[in-house]
Amino acid sequence: MTTDIVVDDDAAAAEADTRQPTTSSRSRRRRRLWIFLGPALLLNLVWGWYPLATSFVLSFTDARLRGDVTFTGFESYERMINDPLVADAFRVSIIFAVLSIVLTFVVPIFVAILLMEMPRRTMRWMMLLWFLPLSSVGTAILWRYVYNTDYGLLQSIATGLGFDRQPFLNSSDQVLFWLVIPGLVLYGPGLIYLATLQSVPTSYYEAAEIEGAGFWRKIWTISLPRMRPVILMMLMFAVIGNLQQFEWPKLMTNGGPGGASRTAVMYVYDILNQLRYADATALSILLFVLIMLIVGIMRFAIREDPDAPPRRSLREFVTRKGDL
Amino acid sequence: MPALLPKVGMRQPKLRYSRAAIAGFLGIGVLLHLLPFYYIISTSLKPGAEVVRNPPTFIPSAITFDAWKLVLRIGDESQIVQLVKEPFWVYFANSAFITVIAVGIGLPVTALAAYANSKLQSGRGARVSFLFFIGTMMVPFVVTLVPMYLLTLNFPFTMPDAPMIPGTDTEFPTLRLWDTPWAVILPAIFVPFNFLLFKGFFDTIPNSVINAARVDGGSELNIFRRIVMPMAVPVFAVTAYMSFGSVWDNFLWQLVTLQSPEKVTMSVATYQLIERLSTAGSTGGGAAAQAEGMGDLLNSGLTWNGMMVLAILQSIPIFIAFLVCREYLLRGIKIRGLK
Repeated sequence: MTTDIVVDDDAAAAEADTRQPTTSSRSRRRRRLWIFLGPALLLNLVWGWYPLATSFVLSFTDARLRGDVTFTGFESYERMINDPLVADAFRVSIIFAVLSIVLTFVVPIFVAILLMEMPRRTMRWMMLLWFLPLSSVGTAILWRYVYNTDYGLLQSIATGLGFDRQPFLNSSDQVLFWLVIPGLVLYGPGLIYLATLQSVPTSYYEAAEIEGAGFWRKIWTISLPRMRPVILMMLMFAVIGNLQQFEWPKLMTNGGPGGASRTAVMYVYDILNQLRYADATALSILLFVLIMLIVGIMRFAIREDPDAPPRRSLREFVTRKGDL
Repeated sequence: MPALLPKVGMRQPKLRYSRAAIAGFLGIGVLLHLLPFYYIISTSLKPGAEVVRNPPTFIPSAITFDAWKLVLRIGDESQIVQLVKEPFWVYFANSAFITVIAVGIGLPVTALAAYANSKLQSGRGARVSFLFFIGTMMVPFVVTLVPMYLLTLNFPFTMPDAPMIPGTDTEFPTLRLWDTPWAVILPAIFVPFNFLLFKGFFDTIPNSVINAARVDGGSELNIFRRIVMPMAVPVFAVTAYMSFGSVWDNFLWQLVTLQSPEKVTMSVATYQLIERLSTAGSTGGGAAAQAEGMGDLLNSGLTWNGMMVLAILQSIPIFIAFLVCREYLLRGIKIRGLK
């Protein structure tokens, strides 16, 4: 079917779409699809997948300061595994992550659950105040001052309460504990939990009410299961993020005292500063393996959401018919 | 509004007490959360000598803006000139430029890709590109740190030196992004987590809406701009807030890629200043060196009150972003799992 009326390009395409798709409209649509997808595809390829792939390659070479790069097999890994500081750094990272998750992960979940109990206006105000963000660089600076052993606020509170003078960040036994504490009043991903809770229908709670469920029972059987996928996702992010902690130790203690708060990523940074590229990459891949191991164990150990459709393999996911 | 407490009999004393208890608990939490805010602000208003006095004061004995003036004057001929090379507004402007460009380009790019993935692609193609976009989300940042650093040094190559062109003595031409704002901006544009948020939202828009607009003759770009974007304002707000915060407050990557004094960002400059303060003796070193270093710093007037000013300056943009986006934050977060 042909017409000699000249119409707007896009209108013609749309019109063509509603009838038999012609080759030209299909190619035009394809072109438009690539215009939409292209920039993001390119950026994720160059800054996401490409460094990830070359990271593995680099770790098997002797890349340093300058000069030719040759493959040396597992030499950098051997060097890293035999470096006593690496074991220390991994220990610090793991202790930091465990402390941080134990102390700070549960609080925002319960804050979000309790916030939903408040009248609407109160909730909006409290939400604003609870989740008011403070720059994490700024937080680190503030706490470095608060922890000062000579004139810090915490020292004066401790002595005021009758304790001995505390070493805080200067004690290699306590430093990790004190580094985690500022996270307690930051309330992490509370907003995400709150948003998830808002989508739970009120009728669930009303039904539970009629069945005679109490306060804790409702949290346990309705709120928490509904939040479960999001909580698991945030737990995953928390594990990945905390094992890669860099900012707070760097800003508050710079790894001190005597390396007691030098995390794995801080050690990667130190090695990178010595321009030992291959060693730094090998160390970061060791950390990557550790993280993936923990994430894998978590996924295996924690039973999936009973409501969720059965998990599919990657191959099934790609080849299945129907919508995503 | 879920009701953990029964609606019936709301006025019963027992229920009223438990409601009050929850409110009290939350109130204490709010106070604990706001305490750091108060302490930062009050410390920044204290005179220099009061900040290092023991015991510390909770309420400033006298309010002065000395620390503020001092920080804003850094880079003049004041004594701190040895500590920091540029006036602080240069660092602030660097951070602002990087953040605004990264978020300004990043949101449309990510949103368009998510839209195309959700509405223009289907079947196998959609799933493959979805995995391509999401696959890098769970990869820890540290794994790509070194290759990305090398990539900014010799742009298309992740090697310390560009390789030779085969058969000749010349190296491949490379682009040096390192120590330019683009080294920070380019990797921050596409954020897989934002893609997930956008995609989760676009999936909820019925196809019939899009098809109706197509029949009415809208081009795909116009449909996206006029119909999809107005619906997606909350998601845009959430992603804008989150990526703004993550770029502005980023530390490690900016520390690795920026070096020239006139190019570093707020977070890096603040770190450098605080490190110089501490090597000058405020936290480490022997007692004598400490006293001497502190004396010099006190003379120049910059102590912790100045650092608190920097902490406030570092926080203000994040603060503003939160207040601007607050209305949309809850509505915009709808994560669909990776099922």
